[in-house]
Amino acid sequence: MTGLVVRQIRGGAAVVAVICAGMTAIVAASYAGVMADPAAAASLHRIAGNAAIRTLFGEPIALDQAGGFTVWRVGTVIAFLLGIWAILATTRITRGAEEARRWDLLLGGRVSLRGATARHLTGVAAAATATGGAVAVALAATADRPTGAVVHGAGIAAIGLFCTATAALTAQLFASRSAASGSAVAVLAVGLLIRMAADGITALAWLRWASPLGLLELSSPYRDNRPLPVLLLLVISGALGAVAVRLAGRRDAGDGLIRGTPGRTGTRGPLGSVEAFALRRMLPALTAWTAGVIAYFLVIGLAGVAVTEFMAQNGSIADLAGQAGFGGLDRLEGLTAAVFGLLSLPVAGFAAVRLGGFVATENDRRLTLLAAQPVSRVRLLAAETAVTAAGMAFLVTVAALATWTGIAAAGGEMSMAALLRGTWNALPVALLGLGAAVLAAGRVPRAVIALGSLPTVGGFLLYTVADSVGAPAWVRGTSPYAHLAPVPLVPVDLGAELVMAALSAALAGAGLWAYRTRDLSG
Amino acid sequence: MIRFRLEGLPVMDAVAVGAVHLTKRYGRLAAVDDLTLEVPAGEVFGFLGPNGAGKSTTIRMLLGLARPTAGRIRVFGIDAADVVAAHAALAYVPADVALWPRLTGGEHLELLAATGPGIDRAYRDELVERFELDPSKPARAYSTGNRQKVALIAAFATRARLLVLDEPTSGLDPLMEREFRHAVAAARERGQTVFLSSHQLAEVEAVCDRVGILRAGRLVEVAAVAQLRALHRNEVTVTYTGAPPRLSGVPGIETVETGGDHHLRFTLTGPPAAALRALAGADVTALAIREPSLEEIFLDYYGEQAGR
Repeated sequence: MTGLVVRQIRGGAAVVAVICAGMTAIVAASYAGVMADPAAAASLHRIAGNAAIRTLFGEPIALDQAGGFTVWRVGTVIAFLLGIWAILATTRITRGAEEARRWDLLLGGRVSLRGATARHLTGVAAAATATGGAVAVALAATADRPTGAVVHGAGIAAIGLFCTATAALTAQLFASRSAASGSAVAVLAVGLLIRMAADGITALAWLRWASPLGLLELSSPYRDNRPLPVLLLLVISGALGAVAVRLAGRRDAGDGLIRGTPGRTGTRGPLGSVEAFALRRMLPALTAWTAGVIAYFLVIGLAGVAVTEFMAQNGSIADLAGQAGFGGLDRLEGLTAAVFGLLSLPVAGFAAVRLGGFVATENDRRLTLLAAQPVSRVRLLAAETAVTAAGMAFLVTVAALATWTGIAAAGGEMSMAALLRGTWNALPVALLGLGAAVLAAGRVPRAVIALGSLPTVGGFLLYTVADSVGAPAWVRGTSPYAHLAPVPLVPVDLGAELVMAALSAALAGAGLWAYRTRDLSG
Repeated sequence: MIRFRLEGLPVMDAVAVGAVHLTKRYGRLAAVDDLTLEVPAGEVFGFLGPNGAGKSTTIRMLLGLARPTAGRIRVFGIDAADVVAAHAALAYVPADVALWPRLTGGEHLELLAATGPGIDRAYRDELVERFELDPSKPARAYSTGNRQKVALIAAFATRARLLVLDEPTSGLDPLMEREFRHAVAAARERGQTVFLSSHQLAEVEAVCDRVGILRAGRLVEVAAVAQLRALHRNEVTVTYTGAPPRLSGVPGIETVETGGDHHLRFTLTGPPAAALRALAGADVTALAIREPSLEEIFLDYYGEQAGR
């Protein structure tokens, strides 16, 4: 069975480990170049002290060292990346396989449900630990002082383990893989929100102890090198994993501990056409994503008012921030523009997951009955694409509404029109992700989620890294984020937006064309 | 070729399924190899073959789910790749029915009715009764047989001119299998064509007009069931008094087994005239000829394949 576990996760595990270690190494290696310019170094220090930046990137701890700089710059990003991968891998190979009845064969042998769960869990945990190790090695090789590298690597691994254990637990609670993945991702997202609040508001700093990402920050690599928070996270992860394995022994195969109402389950909705059916299938997922977007942007709105007031009173810091490209943080327009730029990441993630789900229905043959109807292939995929695009538009609209509500509740003031301009400005970048996902559905259906995330996650990483290492302008220019105007601080760059929208449409069109003629799997 | 007009439909071929040099390769493996086949409209056609013979691949090409490497396959004269037009004339029951776990059986029937080639709702309700399906349950609570019933009801309730059934009864109990045979008979009476792939040879024997036997991607036999029998080994039992008949060297006679008590048993392939002449020379008191079952015919092909 170990072989089975390894075969199911080795590809993704390798990619995640290489990205995490690679980004760490690249940023650490760029440190000397950044610090060579005293002006840049000084402004970096000032910006790092800013509450808004802290809220977004975490608290900078040891910017005077290459290691500390790297931890601050990419630590949260790789922790989040590894965490999401660990969650999706865990639910895929445990609950997903169980749901698809693939475990029936396994459990017919000498393996118990408990044993199978424990073994699969161990596999993902080993991969997460290996990624932490790779990060530590990358950091130790490129930055001095190995203690910090070890603490940070251990912290990253602990985040991976925490997410693995959480996903294993939600996989016992829910009978469907999507519910298990969704609730585990929600735990991680809430952890991020808690840490953001703790970083942004000094009085709430203690909240870091209540968030896995907060504990990672508390380990304070390269300054304090505290092992306690990491150990605490490891103990919590171990306990969650043990509970998950125990619960697996107490339930029937294929069942979750939380059962839906027998008889009728799921949502009601229209079934009159392929388009209506696509909409109906999207609604539960859209509801969950909407809840996440509302929570995040309410916090942004609420915290934003305080942050911009602080910045406005400390003009010198704001000026320096402006020189370093973080302009206008003393105004709500600037702060929201900085945050809205990142909105395309979850929105494109939503699109990639939706298209990934569509391809999954092909693989498990649910789509066969529909594909045998007098409905063209193009229409099947176009319906999914159009409904997903509508969902994305809904999400960016909700983001503006939630931000507005947060700002208003905190006593600030900003026009709804400006906020809507800001969030809709992020949509074309996210649409690039949708276009790439549709192209993947037509050409390389195995890679829908990976390719669908490439324009945003890849583009964002490229942009960040290119910025850090001072790469040539054209390298930076291949990232869509290089062409994203900070709206509502500045007007919408209509040209760039149209180019991105047209490119998305071209990608989707090519995907539809390819889907028309390829053999369906299953 | 005869062409006629059916209400509301464009001019169509009288050939329900027409495959010409149909070939599908996966790398070096030819899953379907130069298959040429014609199923006339109104026929119930049995499509037989051992596992991996290429039955499902042929059906996937018939449905446009997979594209032929060479050759073509048409549904009532429409290229199978033109799924909008071709599927307006067919309904399909897959071998392994997968449903959306959150949707009830009834909702699946609604979805398939709304997107399908048009249905007879009254007949559908009747089928739900006859197949004893509880349409209010979510699909995740259905057994394999119940999932199959959902697809069968949806297909039989359509007025599609061609029903493509891929091992449709593998999960059904004998009572439901009887209902299935009723439904096929009703479809035949309405003039619907049925393309039935199955391993249940008794079922094929009971409902099919003609069968095609596929082996290693090639069609090795297409014939009416009665014709197939004639082509194959009949088992002849002879009781005689006096000297045994001389059967050695008689064309068509094989594996002669002599029983102790003036009994003789042999297999006969092809026309029986020569064998009868040979028997006429002896004092035969009883003669019994047993036709082979489809299963035996099929096993003959299996045997040949194993011995290749």
